[in-house]
Amino acid sequence: MPKKYNVEVTLTPPRYIPIGKFEIERGEDCINCGRCAIVCIYEVHKRQDEDLRCMAEPVAYRCKGCFCCIQECPRAALSIKENEEYSRLGDSYWTPEIISTNWYQAETGKIPVSGAGYRGPFSGEGFDSMWTDMSEIVRPTRDGIHGREYISTAVDVGRKLPAIKFDSQGLIASPIPPTLNIPVPIIFDRLPFGGFENVYEAMAKAASYLGTFMIVDAEEWFKGVGRKEMGDGRMAKGERSHLIPYITQPTLHGFDVDWIKTCKMVELEYDEVVLSAINEVKRINPKTIISVRVPFGDNVEELVEELTYAGVEVIHLYADLNGQTFGKSLFIKDMTQNVHRHLVEHKIRDEVTLIVSGGIAMAEHVAKVILCGADLTAIDLPLLFALECRYCKECREVLSCPVELKDVNPQWGTQRIINIIGAWRNQLLEILGAMGLREVRRLRGEVRRAIFFDDIEKETFDNVFVWGGVIR
Amino acid sequence: MISPTIKIAPSRFPNEISEIEVIRDLSKCINCGTCAKVCPFGVHERKTGYNRVSKPLSYFCIGSSCEDKPFYCVNHCPRKALSLDISSEYRTIGDYRWTRDLIIGTWKQAETGIPLKGRRYEIGNSGGGFDRISFNFPENEGNRGNNSQLTTHKLEDTDISTEIDLNKREGTKISIRVPFYGGGMSFGSISLSVMLAKAKAARAWGTFTCTGEGGYPEALEEYDDNVITQVATGLFGVMEDTIQRVKIVELKYAQGAKPGLGGHLLGDKVTPEVARMREAISGSSLFSPFPFHSVYSVEDHKKHLDWIKELNPDAIVSVKVSTPTDVDMVAVGSYYAGANIIHLDGGYGGTGAAPDIAKKNIAMPIEYAIPKVHEFLKQEGIRDTMTIIASGGIRTAHDALKAIALGADGVVIGTAELVALGCVRCGNCESGRGCPRGIATTDPELSEAVNVVWGAQRLINLYAAWQGEIVDVLKRFGMMSIKELVGRYDCLIENCEITQD
Ligand code: SF4
Ligand code: SF4
Ligand code: SF4
Ligand code: SF4
Repeated sequence: MPKKYNVEVTLTPPRYIPIGKFEIERGEDCINCGRCAIVCIYEVHKRQDEDLRCMAEPVAYRCKGCFCCIQECPRAALSIKENEEYSRLGDSYWTPEIISTNWYQAETGKIPVSGAGYRGPFSGEGFDSMWTDMSEIVRPTRDGIHGREYISTAVDVGRKLPAIKFDSQGLIASPIPPTLNIPVPIIFDRLPFGGFENVYEAMAKAASYLGTFMIVDAEEWFKGVGRKEMGDGRMAKGERSHLIPYITQPTLHGFDVDWIKTCKMVELEYDEVVLSAINEVKRINPKTIISVRVPFGDNVEELVEELTYAGVEVIHLYADLNGQTFGKSLFIKDMTQNVHRHLVEHKIRDEVTLIVSGGIAMAEHVAKVILCGADLTAIDLPLLFALECRYCKECREVLSCPVELKDVNPQWGTQRIINIIGAWRNQLLEILGAMGLREVRRLRGEVRRAIFFDDIEKETFDNVFVWGGVIR
Repeated sequence: MISPTIKIAPSRFPNEISEIEVIRDLSKCINCGTCAKVCPFGVHERKTGYNRVSKPLSYFCIGSSCEDKPFYCVNHCPRKALSLDISSEYRTIGDYRWTRDLIIGTWKQAETGIPLKGRRYEIGNSGGGFDRISFNFPENEGNRGNNSQLTTHKLEDTDISTEIDLNKREGTKISIRVPFYGGGMSFGSISLSVMLAKAKAARAWGTFTCTGEGGYPEALEEYDDNVITQVATGLFGVMEDTIQRVKIVELKYAQGAKPGLGGHLLGDKVTPEVARMREAISGSSLFSPFPFHSVYSVEDHKKHLDWIKELNPDAIVSVKVSTPTDVDMVAVGSYYAGANIIHLDGGYGGTGAAPDIAKKNIAMPIEYAIPKVHEFLKQEGIRDTMTIIASGGIRTAHDALKAIALGADGVVIGTAELVALGCVRCGNCESGRGCPRGIATTDPELSEAVNVVWGAQRLINLYAAWQGEIVDVLKRFGMMSIKELVGRYDCLIENCEITQD
């Protein structure tokens, strides 16, 4: 049995006052009786330090919306409302809930837990239109979360042989392609914005601690962040080996050659001549694994098939930030299924590793996209959320970042990223445990262990509503 | 049988959350007291000896329906200082599943015992499942038989029975007067007063409440005949005696809110009292394992049931499971293992703390599981010998009726009971000292907030309102018993209206 993989999480508080969900206002009728300070068990209400006769301004970000003070105040002087700054966070895909729970996980490293049932819509778009299965009585579950059973979240990246040939002496005759074993099915993708030196340093340190990898734009890295300063300076050798340079055209970048020689994995953007680029890289470093970055577009299934037949080891399919594919806009959940199914039909699924990225916002998305057929995922924005990013996109307009991302302390950032991955991994264990799976590799493409909204809705209610009709 | 007495049980908070806020602009108000004279509901008051009119008691205001009344204070105020608005509290409370109206409506029903009419008190805003289903009432509402039959007659409330049988197999016959009972909430996750309030209400209504996984407090003994004892994976507090005392034993395999995961009771909540009950150490977190490590097949399952029946041959056994894709097989397996009740617990409900990822994603919502199991048991020819109980997201009497029309015999309620006791569904039950409102906590100071007598009355009232609504719906369908509604898909219709913003 492998050494137990464990992500050590540590409480790492935010640098700025967080954006709370509620706003609490104390009206003029307050008689400073102090009742609110007694009933609020979250310390929102306190007396002023300077003048104990008066109540201080409520520390509203701590409010958890229990309504106790509102209902107990003898003068009904308090009012509560949703904090607009909170409801304006993000957008319709990266909702305030998603952003703030990622903050919470980066701070605590804990799984978000709450009481009194589920609060959201019945189902929704994209990943919200599926549920995962569980086992009971007739199929056993696993207990991974409390460590009573070992559930592996490791994945192998690289080409796998459909069969192994042996020579007459019984020795393996087939050339075994290189593979990388990553202990979590999550690697770090290029950042859409916020790629400051300190941020990269935090990411690289976290990737190295976690044993995972981080894709960096070779050109940007080389020129901007600078290999002098970063690559050779602040970053230790171990951390450097967790980088996956993303290269557009290897021949044009003489400076990449030395780097490529040391890389375990390299990523190339797809174009017509990608196969010769692969050869070029392989010539420089035969041991490196090459991933081809392919946009999720129309007919991507055929392209993936072609590349797989051509011997490509890893294909990184990416959608936009919100998980929408290019061309006909579909969601990655559906496109991943299409690609997976297509490869299965051609009996070549196991030969290639699929990395899927774009719109992976929560732990559940990792599990769901793997269920749909990915081997592993690459994430972007959640890494920035780990560093307190508010997704205001100000930095894109070269405005000032409200949380000064560029000045984050890399050590602090490293721990926040480790925390978020630790929490995500534990949630993945919850899903795997409930399904009775011992390893995440077994989850891949297990669509029969998923419940899809469209299917079950039809299966159930076509039967039920056959009598009635639809009132509109 | 006489119904339990309904007594008004107002909220224990001085300021009830109201939909309407009556706003007095203090810069305009001259404290003439006109409003206090006109409003018949006591919203405005000028206490004797005070110059100023008190802050409006908005909770009593009847809102926009007052506009055309002769006493509408807004029109009477000489300085136009008064106005009505939706209160910010009302805007803030609630979520998709439990909308502000469902929460406030449940509070009102727990206060008065009278069913509240109107879609907003019947349906949530989740956009699916129960919230997508309405009743398809017949044209000749309220009549027995249909037009083609000559035997139609008008039904009276007293003609209608809401009683269901919990055991349809051999053995002890047990029936309950209302088609619902209280769900398992353990001592530890809720306070003793809440447990006792639940038990009192169950006794008053001739139904049951369940101990949950955490032992059987001595104070519950006098309610033995209305208590279901739970045997769960941690076996916390399970003793031969607790199984022998009761009429129903519930074997909990899984719970909807955390299917596939065991229970957690965080250290903070393990007070010395809780620890004693669970034979554990106070302050240490308690985890129930998942699954029963001794059950990996229907045969193992049967051993468990046999063990219980050996200890208490008169008891009937309920098997509580959550809703995987093969929940139908689980139900049949439980039948052959000897269960009397198959209790399906869907993922969207649950009272205690659970990981958000599990509540939202693992296993199917109850609305799908009920017809699946109902149909499968019919196919297997055992539907008439097995009782199906559904839970996990039953918020209102209407949800209960829909679950029954989808194929359940009855339902179990949990969150609705907590809401009746004043829960706002803030979700903080497990953090720190537990529920700030004193419900889901064993913190000695906090749990004082809920008094047993008041709590029991609130639940008795809520049950009364539900029962009244159930009778009303059955009457409109021309049914004389709730049993007639089981699996009647034709009574349901898809509803495409959006109820709230
Ligand atoms: S309870 Fe009300 S009156 Fe008393 S101090 Fe707090 S806000 Fe002021
Ligand atoms: S609503 Fe609850 S958490 Fe918020 S300030 Fe009031 S008492 Fe504290
Ligand atoms: S609007 Fe009507 S009910 Fe409301 S406070 Fe004024 S008079 Fe009273
Ligand atoms: S903590 Fe909040 S959700 Fe939990 S029981 Fe108390 S009021 Fe309800």
